[in-house]
Amino acid sequence: MPGNTVRILDGNTFVVSEESGDIEATATEPTGLFSLDTRFLSTWVLTINGERLNPLSYDDLQYYEARFFLVPGAATHYVDAKLSVVRERAVGGSFRETLTILNHDENSVELEVRMAAAADFADLFEVKDDQLSKKGEIYTEVESDRLRLGYRRGNFRRETVITSSVPARFDQGGFAYTLHLAANEQWVAEIDVRTLTLGPGGRDLRMGLRAHGAERLALQQDLRKWIADAPKVNSEREDLTTTYRRCLVDLAALRFVPFSLGGAALPAAGLPWFMTMFGRDSILTCLQVLPFTPELSKTTLQILAALQGTRFDDFREEDPGRILHEMRYGETAAFEEQPHSPYYGSVDATPLFIVLLDEYERWSGDADLVRALQVECRAALKWIDNYADLVGNGYVWYERRNTDTGLDNQCWKDSWDSISYRDGTLPPFPRATCEVQGYAYDAKVRAARLAREFWDDPAFAEQLEREAADLKERFNREWWVEDGGYYALALDPDGRQCDVLSSNIGHLLWSGIVADERAPRIAEHLVGPRLFSGWGVRTLAKGEARYNPIGYHNGAIWPFDNSFVAWGLRKYGFAEEAATIANGILDAARYFDGRLPEAFGGYPRELTKFPVEYPTACTPQAWSTGAPLLLLRTMLGLEPHQGHLAVEPRLPVGMGRIEVLDIPGRWGRLDAFARGRLDLRQRGD
Amino acid sequence: MSEATTAFFKELDRRGYEPLLMRTTGTVRFDLHEGAHTTHWLVRIDRGQLRVSREDLEADATIGLSPALFEELAAGREHGIAASLRGDLTVSGDPRLFVQVERLFPGDPRSRGPRRAFEREVR
Repeated sequence: MPGNTVRILDGNTFVVSEESGDIEATATEPTGLFSLDTRFLSTWVLTINGERLNPLSYDDLQYYEARFFLVPGAATHYVDAKLSVVRERAVGGSFRETLTILNHDENSVELEVRMAAAADFADLFEVKDDQLSKKGEIYTEVESDRLRLGYRRGNFRRETVITSSVPARFDQGGFAYTLHLAANEQWVAEIDVRTLTLGPGGRDLRMGLRAHGAERLALQQDLRKWIADAPKVNSEREDLTTTYRRCLVDLAALRFVPFSLGGAALPAAGLPWFMTMFGRDSILTCLQVLPFTPELSKTTLQILAALQGTRFDDFREEDPGRILHEMRYGETAAFEEQPHSPYYGSVDATPLFIVLLDEYERWSGDADLVRALQVECRAALKWIDNYADLVGNGYVWYERRNTDTGLDNQCWKDSWDSISYRDGTLPPFPRATCEVQGYAYDAKVRAARLAREFWDDPAFAEQLEREAADLKERFNREWWVEDGGYYALALDPDGRQCDVLSSNIGHLLWSGIVADERAPRIAEHLVGPRLFSGWGVRTLAKGEARYNPIGYHNGAIWPFDNSFVAWGLRKYGFAEEAATIANGILDAARYFDGRLPEAFGGYPRELTKFPVEYPTACTPQAWSTGAPLLLLRTMLGLEPHQGHLAVEPRLPVGMGRIEVLDIPGRWGRLDAFARGRLDLRQRGD
Repeated sequence: MSEATTAFFKELDRRGYEPLLMRTTGTVRFDLHEGAHTTHWLVRIDRGQLRVSREDLEADATIGLSPALFEELAAGREHGIAASLRGDLTVSGDPRLFVQVERLFPGDPRSRGPRRAFEREVR
């Protein structure tokens, strides 16, 4: 990826460009105008009298709009520029660019203004995997008032239509204007780029898929309302307020409206690769932000329920009751070259679906939704017991059935080498990872509460509680690594432990599957020198064979992971350890202007002094955006309790005073106040 | 030939109630186009209660496709969502109804489903 890119987005439509506003995509550069997982503009280069322009500055004003200030000529002599060029652009429905040229000279000028425009219609997967070989036909149609760039493969048709508010000369490679600007005169053109999804007969097929707003004004009002509806956070530490604000805006930007549920939004996973719905990412993000934006949980649950698996499909790895992993709308999904229509290869989304429903009810009191989703919850529980137990010993396992394009690892650590034994070798399949057993345990405990309180089925509740207790007992027996004093990362089908020390043990605390007497040792590991870097908990502990400080799932630090680890620690009463992690991650956020990346390096804090961003990290990413919010909840000890909001703050001294105002829930709106009193010991290596 | 198509709608009508659609109400019309000729199938859904007829009445969602493609969908050999992304199947009206009804099509008959590592298959 080039050094600096400017990104604006609205739902599933986004533009990634250089700092000049130009787009010059190559097969691997993810710049362009994207919509529905397809690149609708791969070239968008502005020249004046044949010369490229240089950026003086740019502002990304809002997530959906940006402004670029440019001058002609190379960087060395632009101080003399007699021309200024301003490009203002916004996405929302379509992509619009307002081009303003100002002549500062006392003489008039003749200008040839040209925009080179082209589209390669690459599927996002082709860009991501660097494999662009289009099977269909790319066409260009020049009309007197528009340029039409198109792609056709069978009935699959995508078109980019470019028009201008002032007459332009359109040609095969773009469009141009010839201008005569008098002294101090200014010229403005509005360029509109529409992305069309056409069916037979040229009808737009978008089937109601749209972003949460369309027009700029609507987007502006929507963002204002989104911020006004969320709780206010005031803090003596200014960066915390900045981080909170950044997170709220990014969450607004990442909202995505799939075509299956008119108008309702769920969090998409992240820019640029993951602007779509993901079971796991959407659910975990909702859990993180529940105290702040609870409405996201409701729509996420409804959408995922509406697409819950109903049949066996080996290509999509669909089973009855399974919650989806990922949905895509591009060419590779359409022609079944990729399985995302949708793809179900996730082993944790299904138990997490139940966990979110219960947590959402505890905050919102929305009993209607719990009753409405009873059938889906029962189907999810059945999936856990019947279809996920691939070894037949009561655990949740995964082994892909789609051996061409399916995922090897169907847990959150989904890279190919994320699961290993201590000697670094990889286990055979099926595999069972520890955190998923925790989620399944938690799902049963929580479903028991739902069965008893809302489904009027106490017998089912008792059965679930028995099963959960049994699972906890066996798990503590079979997964405990004696010589390490922690739980194994995974089991192989012979029951052998993948006996490495990993961040996954923190999720076990969150799920409640850890035996009380073992919790202190787990807490000790999580803030100990092998796992804790000073910024956060590494995915894999130092000293393991596969440890690498920038190993994606083998040593890098994931803010989202840390937020659940901290929540788990707090649940078991380790408030100081939780605050230590919260403090480290929130400190790291400062170096990213409040926008935490997907992951950063596991180097010791003492060594680097600043968090080293993971090379190809995706940003903003939903569950990184949610992390500071969950850390706030954890430090303030916000917990729904018997219909009220309990507040039990344990803040480190450096946090000063924090207030969170207007926390929504079944209690209406309540405020929480806290002051930093915890004196944290120096931790990490 | 439209054996799977006829069997699919007959079975739907016979089923009478489908719990997957218990929160769904609306009408869906399938228009099977072959040249100038169009065959209509109308599915009325009332909180999971199903009624199928051959009427050509206005519906909340209209799904247009070829009889050959429908035959494949009804047999589980083609996938409705993928077909709609390709443009081989068009939806007008309320897309939610299409997504809900699509779940009633059978899975691919070649799919084996999850299998136990050491035993027989799970399903």
